[in-house]
Amino acid sequence: MATDKSNLQLVISGILNENPIFRLVLSMCPAVGISTTVMNGFMLGVAVLFVQVFSSCTISLIKNWIHPRIRIPTYTLTIATWVTVIDLVLAAYLPEAYAKMGIFVKLIVAFAIITMRLEMFACKESLTHSFWDGVGMGLGFMAGMMAIGLVRELLGLGTILGYDVLGFRPLLFFILPTAGFFCVGLMMGFFNYIETRYKRAKQG
Amino acid sequence: MKDIATIVFRLTLTCLVAGLIMGGCFIVTNKAKQHNQQVNEQKVMLSLLGYSAAKPAPASLALHPVYRYLVSEKEVQALGYLVPVAGGAPDAFAFVTLDLDGKFLHRFDLQLAPEKVEQAKERQQAVQVAVGPGKSIKYADQTIIVTDNGKRQAYLLPGEFQGFKTFVKVMLAIDPGFTVLGLEIMEHEEDPGLGGEIVQDYFKQQFRGKPYEALKKLGVVKQPLPDEYRTALEAGKSGSLGPEEVARIQAQYQDHDIYALTGATISSRAVTNGVKTIVKKFAYRIGFLDQVLAEQQIVVPF
Repeated sequence: MATDKSNLQLVISGILNENPIFRLVLSMCPAVGISTTVMNGFMLGVAVLFVQVFSSCTISLIKNWIHPRIRIPTYTLTIATWVTVIDLVLAAYLPEAYAKMGIFVKLIVAFAIITMRLEMFACKESLTHSFWDGVGMGLGFMAGMMAIGLVRELLGLGTILGYDVLGFRPLLFFILPTAGFFCVGLMMGFFNYIETRYKRAKQG
Repeated sequence: MKDIATIVFRLTLTCLVAGLIMGGCFIVTNKAKQHNQQVNEQKVMLSLLGYSAAKPAPASLALHPVYRYLVSEKEVQALGYLVPVAGGAPDAFAFVTLDLDGKFLHRFDLQLAPEKVEQAKERQQAVQVAVGPGKSIKYADQTIIVTDNGKRQAYLLPGEFQGFKTFVKVMLAIDPGFTVLGLEIMEHEEDPGLGGEIVQDYFKQQFRGKPYEALKKLGVVKQPLPDEYRTALEAGKSGSLGPEEVARIQAQYQDHDIYALTGATISSRAVTNGVKTIVKKFAYRIGFLDQVLAEQQIVVPF
């Protein structure tokens, strides 16, 4: 059972109509917990992108040897292995980036989005398709995290990427974890609203 | 039954392969990581003492590590300090034990190559051989005594304490009068954006220049950080203020409590108390150590 989408379509669908955060509503914990600034969102996005691509490719390669009863343990092991490898390599060769990202990388093992993509896509599709799907999902996750991060950073700290744009701090509440729920919810609603408007306009 | 066997076999195989990949990766990267850590530690030590690439440390500057051990024999506890001995070969060390009241117990001489002293395992072995069997030794911490032409300049104190989430590892520099020269956060896992802000200059530089008397009763206040103080604290990075101006503002807030980070009072308090404890304990211990070294006429290079 192969997908009928082209590689580019796979990437775009990961970013837009199957966006992990706003459409699939997966991996809400990091979306709420870590998206306090644009930079945090970007860092976590990069880490997820790598783990997703590597895991998707691995599972796609070994899909014929996975016993159906132990799918999930195998996925978890694969993800954990890649996360550990990336964690170790970053710590050893890019200590400066690791100082900023280290704490996020370890969290990825528990991300629903990666397991879900392996189960829904990589274990059925070819290596190339799995690779591009992984790229799309990773980019979609990154875009979602950065969008939430932008809103929270702007409203909570009055800055964007650390640069002061507003000159004052509107509401510190927005960088506390609770506000993550409000932000994600409101933004999801906003995007759904745009989509409905867009579809209606298209219809007539 | 056959199913179970395949499942067990495949899962075991997967685990083994995963283990091999992770283990292999660890072996390959570990060396680089340790090397990075050492280089970073050296850099942090020098920067805390006020030296940088633009202003290198003079050749007369020397760092002497002193390692503290807990020595226990049956029910009796004692403290042991591994100190270098001056005037002789570079591999001469003395292991001096003190009882808990600070009275001198024993002196053991040992030979240890300076590069081996830095290796925790080899150092432990050498000390164990020196004190003889029947006593168990446990490594506690290390202090680096900085001298310039044999005169004490500062102490560097690596330390660790409980933060809001896990342990926070720090490196502290204090002068011989126990005034804080600087604080650097080496490792932490506080929340990014909240407690993670302890690494920022506007927090950690607040400790700089705190005299021992002020430090002993240092607290945390939940007040906004005054703007002028903030600029002075961040002057090292932005360089917008002259050194005299920075010194004037720093002096003004010298005895003031630490301004807590917004949204991270617990982390702020943890760091403040941690720093306080490290300095207080050290000041207490170094007094006894110096006294014993003088009484026993052990010649040390610091």
